[in-house]
Amino acid sequence: MESFATIVSILYQFATNGAFLLLSALGLIVILGMMNIINLAHGELMMMGAYTASIAWHRGVPFWLCAILAFVVVALFGALLERTVVRRFYGRELGALVVTWGISLILSQGALMVFGPFLPAIPIPGGSIALGQYSFSVYWLIVIALACALIAGLWSLYNYTTFGLQARAAMQNPAMATALGVDTGRVYTLTFSLGAGLAGFSGALFAPTVSIAPFMGQQFVAPAFITVVVGGATNVITGAVGSSLLLSLVKTPVGFVFGAFVGTVALLLAALVIIRLMPDGVSAVLQRLVDRRNRFA
Amino acid sequence: MSHLLKLLTGPEDIGRSRWFWAVFVAVCTLLFVYPYWLSEFEATNNAYYLLNVPIALGLALLWGYCGILSFGQVAYFGIAGYVYGIVAGNMTGNAFGPLVGSLCGLAVCAIAAAMFGYFVFYGRVQNWIVPILTLVLSLLLETFLGQTAGYQWRIGTVQLGGYNGMTGIPSFQIGRFVITGYSFYYYVLIIVVVAYLAMRILVNSQYGKVMLAIREDPIRTELLGYDIRARRLVVFVLAAISAGVSGLLYVQWGNYITPSQVGLLQASLPVIWVAVGGRESLLAVLLSTCALNWLNYTLSSEGYQYALIIIGVLLVVVMLFFPDGIIVTLARDVPSRGWRALVGLHKGKSG
Repeated sequence: MESFATIVSILYQFATNGAFLLLSALGLIVILGMMNIINLAHGELMMMGAYTASIAWHRGVPFWLCAILAFVVVALFGALLERTVVRRFYGRELGALVVTWGISLILSQGALMVFGPFLPAIPIPGGSIALGQYSFSVYWLIVIALACALIAGLWSLYNYTTFGLQARAAMQNPAMATALGVDTGRVYTLTFSLGAGLAGFSGALFAPTVSIAPFMGQQFVAPAFITVVVGGATNVITGAVGSSLLLSLVKTPVGFVFGAFVGTVALLLAALVIIRLMPDGVSAVLQRLVDRRNRFA
Repeated sequence: MSHLLKLLTGPEDIGRSRWFWAVFVAVCTLLFVYPYWLSEFEATNNAYYLLNVPIALGLALLWGYCGILSFGQVAYFGIAGYVYGIVAGNMTGNAFGPLVGSLCGLAVCAIAAAMFGYFVFYGRVQNWIVPILTLVLSLLLETFLGQTAGYQWRIGTVQLGGYNGMTGIPSFQIGRFVITGYSFYYYVLIIVVVAYLAMRILVNSQYGKVMLAIREDPIRTELLGYDIRARRLVVFVLAAISAGVSGLLYVQWGNYITPSQVGLLQASLPVIWVAVGGRESLLAVLLSTCALNWLNYTLSSEGYQYALIIIGVLLVVVMLFFPDGIIVTLARDVPSRGWRALVGLHKGKSG
């Protein structure tokens, strides 16, 4: 019984870290994979999501509705951002990096000036369940389940809907997609909006577990970007899943023994080693495996 | 000598007419003479506007001339500053302590950049990965330095000091001659002028041409037989050393350094100096760095809370409307013959 509880506890730690990395990076990786744009304002979009959730929650809105509201609000903001600014930087990836960084500075400092140094916290919903000597937070178990559900949802969105088909076409060959009548501009706006919305949703989900402050986005920058770098841009969904699991494998034991900060440093070192071994990320390696199997099948 | 002069006046920067060099020499002379009319305090302030020029020039070399963007130049700034503080602080009383400290600071910078660059450039990662990883590096460095309060973080006799930073860092000195006040101004000025001229020679040399080729088309350059991994690594290390020089000058100027010097706000500053001036011109970067540092110094005494917003708006506006930089755009597009003779730029792509 004891050893069973220990195994469950280790798995729980591993899944928690994996879900954290996956949710931090998901919005970023959707935008990168589909549009080849790195959104450095990602952390600030998560901050916006958390702010929306906090404001709504303290007006009496139930938490799950707050999270959905955060998705909608940040997705709308993302669409606006794409229409006005990001649109001009397609094909200039370094320019896009710099301009989104400028936006992130404006957003975080703007939040500080409008809302002050912090917003009231949200208590963690749900209690905890005990197993042996360990106890597990129900909230995190739900977050882990939600992360899996989001991946499944994205997978079906890209594989079974017209939007997904058009998005993949626009990604592979924009000129040909346009020639076949796909409105690539609209696809890009929707993709950016989806990525932003996912960032806002994750921000709302993490809101009960962190302090809600203008510069809270910074703490997600390191894990999110490392996950994206390791995942690569070849295949969005396999990359996101593969890299968050791989990195969780590094972070869980190191963080357990040496603390959270060393855990994050270990992430950076692991990322350096991994990109030395597979420069295009985990997704490229997985894609190659799949291709090879399909050829022999 | 004549070979170097020829390289100096080569095509890879704005300003290559005889008139330009006359103005350049005149301005340098003016800068050398004019502390005569300043108080020692004002001279020290002026040194502050200049001391960030090396880090900006290094980033211009890396981003504008070699096509590699880094958001983490401040990490090397901080490494050099902290290492200098530790080494020189432990050698107080020794006449050559600061000199040894400076050399150690730059050496550690170079080693750190070489190790980081090895993984990145020899892994042949995509373009967008370098800026992200460098940013992550400097954020982690800030977090690390921020938690170094307390006595267990004492190296020799020097406290790292956590978020309050390291204080009492010795000024630079050679032998018995301590460089502060007026002499510090001249020390910074000489370093800045030498750094500018040296980099201008570099970008016009054979090595510089290969750098430009890598920026324009890495694969073609590689097929022509150049090892682009090693070339990029060398440029990256050079840029890190330049950032280190600025870090050294900063701690020798203010005698303190805090972890926020490697934080997100500071990390954004070199990028904005380079973007506003124009990343493909060392001269433009030099001018914009001095001007923006002066502006920042003046603003920070009043509305510090707006600093980030102003920087953010500047970045967005420049990237949207002046993608080549404000100074470079002016130099290229002002339709006056006299102006064109001065900057020595022809309409269209240069050399």
